[in-house]
Amino acid sequence: MGLLSLLRKLRKSEREARILVLGLDNSGKTTILKKLADEDITHIMPTQGFNIQSVVHDGFKLNVWDVGGQKSIRPYWRNYYDNTDVLIYVVDSADTTRLEEVNKELSELLAEEKLAGVPLLVFANKQDLMGALSAADISTGLNLEAISGRSWSIQACSAKRGDGLEAGMGWAVERVRAKDASA
Amino acid sequence: MRLKRFLLRYFPPGIILEYEKRDGSTHMKEINLMELTAESSPGAIADQIIRTEPLVSPARRPQLMRLLGRLCTQLEQYRTADFSLSKILRAHVLPLTNCAFNKNGDRFVTGSYDRTCKVWDTDSGAELHTLEGHSNVVYCVAFNNPFGDKVVTGSFDKTAKVWSASTGECLHTYRGHRTEIVCASFDPNGSTIATGSMDHTAMLWDVETGAALHTLAGHTAEIVTLDFNQTGRQIITGSFDNTVRVWDVRSGACVHTLKGHLGEVSAASFNFEGTTCISGSIDRTCKIWDVASGQCIGTLRGHTDEVLDVAFNPQGTKIVTGSADGTARVFSTATKACTAILVGHSSEISKVAFSPQGHKVLTASSDKTARLWDPEEAKALQVLEGHTDEIFSCAFNYSGDAIITGSKDNTCRIWRCA
Repeated sequence: MGLLSLLRKLRKSEREARILVLGLDNSGKTTILKKLADEDITHIMPTQGFNIQSVVHDGFKLNVWDVGGQKSIRPYWRNYYDNTDVLIYVVDSADTTRLEEVNKELSELLAEEKLAGVPLLVFANKQDLMGALSAADISTGLNLEAISGRSWSIQACSAKRGDGLEAGMGWAVERVRAKDASA
Repeated sequence: MRLKRFLLRYFPPGIILEYEKRDGSTHMKEINLMELTAESSPGAIADQIIRTEPLVSPARRPQLMRLLGRLCTQLEQYRTADFSLSKILRAHVLPLTNCAFNKNGDRFVTGSYDRTCKVWDTDSGAELHTLEGHSNVVYCVAFNNPFGDKVVTGSFDKTAKVWSASTGECLHTYRGHRTEIVCASFDPNGSTIATGSMDHTAMLWDVETGAALHTLAGHTAEIVTLDFNQTGRQIITGSFDNTVRVWDVRSGACVHTLKGHLGEVSAASFNFEGTTCISGSIDRTCKIWDVASGQCIGTLRGHTDEVLDVAFNPQGTKIVTGSADGTARVFSTATKACTAILVGHSSEISKVAFSPQGHKVLTASSDKTARLWDPEEAKALQVLEGHTDEIFSCAFNYSGDAIITGSKDNTCRIWRCA
């Protein structure tokens, strides 16, 4: 991957889309990324910077950027906003104590000028855990219904088992295609 | 005309004649000794210089012999010395991008995704300055060598900035590029800065006034690499449009478009004398170009995957290429033959460099190690281990006894010769 590959991933070419994956620390962003690329997910450490995976889905090359979610790194998320085609926000559905923090971070993110109009996919992750809230509960908790000016969707998933990831990425590709068609 | 004194240049080896004309004005003339090795006979070389150079009288022979001896000694320095870890610098909070030494080697700079550039003391590892002001990734960094009193930074925020290396103060902000700046360099006189951008253009800027001098327009895709020649009169730019362009710095005119690569250009560099340049490409080859004619004079093949970086040795007699195939190859510039294949890294090599003496090759890889090699014997000398994520950048200092490596693990490491 080297610096040159990073530059190549910054380019916008046809049939390629840039997907930005954000969310609080320990929400499972890197696990989702690795699972999408069919890589080992047994030893994942907190991300101190970022990871990139290129996933081919339905004829589209998705360059998926996963940026560390720790509080100290969150101010740097905006480094990665440019040219984003789809924003994926990952929520730990089992950690109900942090839903308020999620709510605050997500509303700040949606107010970012550079992300205006960018489609939003919320992954209600960790559905494999006991006590995980359903996608509907998360949607209510985050007041997603009130979102305007962008298309959005919420998808229940378990990155660990792989459930729901395909469906979510399918929605993301659909949004990219819709944007290309209208461009 | 009268010879006043000799000056020495260690890397690449050369003797500079300072002489006085009849009108009393002082001038310089360089004698490059690109073929000098420890096996060279100082007597024979001295005799040749005296024969061909009217400024040097036979009476100067003993002095000339001593100077040649010193050059040979310098070329042999650190040949057998091992590098070991000296410092781990953890001040950046996000991955590093590029890093660079000043000419003295007592200071270096690192760029980072944390939007800062930091100035470090090589000996102590102390953080001297944090250059803050960019609003996005600081991707490229450089000193105004040989002076070393200024630093240029290029950022994904579309601006470049010049800073005082001693105070950390921002002297100018250069605005004009429409997208990310990914390469930046001072010319060797320290008066002009060149920046290359993902917006397909390069720009030249006046260091003193901060004014834009020229926009180098012509490439049809992103510019990812640039290099000034030693006089500062020409600059080359390498682009994702598969070409390299040679530009006249004074007029901003494109002198040549070097066409032939079948894939994006990843790196480009002049030789010391500025007569030839090399380019590495995603098409798995490295090409050698004659700068005056713009003709391709050689294509170096053998890599089985993308060539990600290329470098001349200081003398320009050898070329090293680093590839996504995990190997580096050494070629003779004159014969274009591959003289060594450096095998050992377990994944792609993204950066390559010769030591200033030319007797070692440094490679940085996504396998989290940097390695040192003997390019003559094609032998692995050392594995610089410790980074916990891939290495993005590496550099030798000018004297060849220090190495820095910058990594995605947010740290920079200093390695010193014992």
